[in-house]
Amino acid sequence: MENTVKVIDVVWHTDAIYELLLERNGQAFVPGDCVALYAADGQASRPYSFASGADDPDLRFLIRRMDGGEVSPHLASLKTGADVKVSPPFGWFRPGQAGDNAPAVFIATGTGIAPFLSYLRTFSSRPPLMCLYGVRERKDAVAAAFLREHCDTRLAVSRETAPDAYHGRITDLLPELRLAPEIHYYLCGLDAMIDQVTDWLEEQGIDITHIHRECFFNAEV
Amino acid sequence: MTTDTIEFRQSNPWLETAKGEKRGYIQPAKLTELWFHTGTICNLRCPFCLEGSKPGDTRIQALKLDDVRPFIEEALDLGVEQFSFTGGEPFVVKDFIKILQLALTHRPCLVLTNGTEPLFNRFADVVPLLDLPHPVRFRISIDYPDEQRHDAGRGPGNFRRAWATMKRLHDAGFTVSVARQRDKDEDVNAADEQFRDLMEAHGIPRDRTIVSFPDFLTPGSTGHAPEITESCMTTYHTEETRADFMCNYSKMVLKKNGRMRVYACTLVDDDERYDLGGTLSDSMNARIVLTHHRCFSCFAYGASCSEK
Repeated sequence: MENTVKVIDVVWHTDAIYELLLERNGQAFVPGDCVALYAADGQASRPYSFASGADDPDLRFLIRRMDGGEVSPHLASLKTGADVKVSPPFGWFRPGQAGDNAPAVFIATGTGIAPFLSYLRTFSSRPPLMCLYGVRERKDAVAAAFLREHCDTRLAVSRETAPDAYHGRITDLLPELRLAPEIHYYLCGLDAMIDQVTDWLEEQGIDITHIHRECFFNAEV
Repeated sequence: MTTDTIEFRQSNPWLETAKGEKRGYIQPAKLTELWFHTGTICNLRCPFCLEGSKPGDTRIQALKLDDVRPFIEEALDLGVEQFSFTGGEPFVVKDFIKILQLALTHRPCLVLTNGTEPLFNRFADVVPLLDLPHPVRFRISIDYPDEQRHDAGRGPGNFRRAWATMKRLHDAGFTVSVARQRDKDEDVNAADEQFRDLMEAHGIPRDRTIVSFPDFLTPGSTGHAPEITESCMTTYHTEETRADFMCNYSKMVLKKNGRMRVYACTLVDDDERYDLGGTLSDSMNARIVLTHHRCFSCFAYGASCSEK
């Protein structure tokens, strides 16, 4: 059943992306799990993936505030000590966890990087072979420095140029991917990217049992 | 002086219609199909969902293997011929593959799914189910033959994903079928034909089963369906057609508030009066009164959650 937990902090990374820190209260989860976080009315909810490690002292969620949204503006407005209604963890996406420590590649857009951050914060000794990370503007790449500390990271910025990033869509970087039948590919982000990357991987001969997806929709409003 | 005696008659809306007529009912005869509601947790948030399912929802809780095991054993003792699973989205449930493995060691199974990410991601676990003693069939929800109309409710790209999943399941050797929504006053054959064209276009045989449902409204809705009287059940139905009502031969098991319960069918879990007890044996003698507004769809269109 749903629980109520306290807000520790709301940390803004950009004018739209923030990290919500909640008290842990002993909640167990595995990287890739989500919870539903509720609006003030206790009715409207949206799923958010854990960005924190499975053994971290608090719970972290990386959230984009959607103008006119039912949930993300409410969560963004919360002060330290406020209550948030939270569902039990659930999930069907398990980054890095298929096979027996099988090699992995992570591909994410925007806040879709959250489950991969959770993985790296939990299994830092088992990094992926590489990570493709796509954002609109350079400032949106809030996890770039952390990712580069932990694995071979390729950053794509679609709407502006940046000295440390490819200027264009993440799908432009697909030819740089390492391809092998033993590798598992984990995709998280907006639906259009998920579909394009899936199609491309299948065209390269990757079996669909080695493609794992977590799809975000622009469904906040 | 005379005194009139006025008898006040207490009507019972559960047993009587607004006009005071006795409601129609089904006296269950057997248990050939047992449904499990895997929980209202789903990866999608469809505004029309009859279960009100969505990510994180716990109105009906997710099943665990140990929740299911005693009901499978009891159902086998009662002569069950098939286990069926609905949600929510069953593949969101962590124990679902293990639950299916157990069920398939005993009886054929039917799984209702939206055919999107949760099934896609567990495909490697799904394929080995073909090696179990009994077959599993998958019914994929594709609301309309029009992609935009489907995706307006289920999210962008999900029409394409659902068809792709159906094709993959078919290619792997599973039997697939479609659950679609039925428009008022539609030409059923013409609507089905559009789906058959889509099956063919996706490399799936045209003769796969298509099951269509009217708008059941969201949980807790009262609806405005005509009331079903005892007389209706004898005037418009025969002994043979009454036997086809799902509540005659099936039950649904689910978990609410931490307790496993047996309900009369797949469509009435929002009404506690259809909670028939904690065991299948307890539930078998209960008369099913056709009071719920969704009962009218079985009355008028034929019970169709099953694939008899």
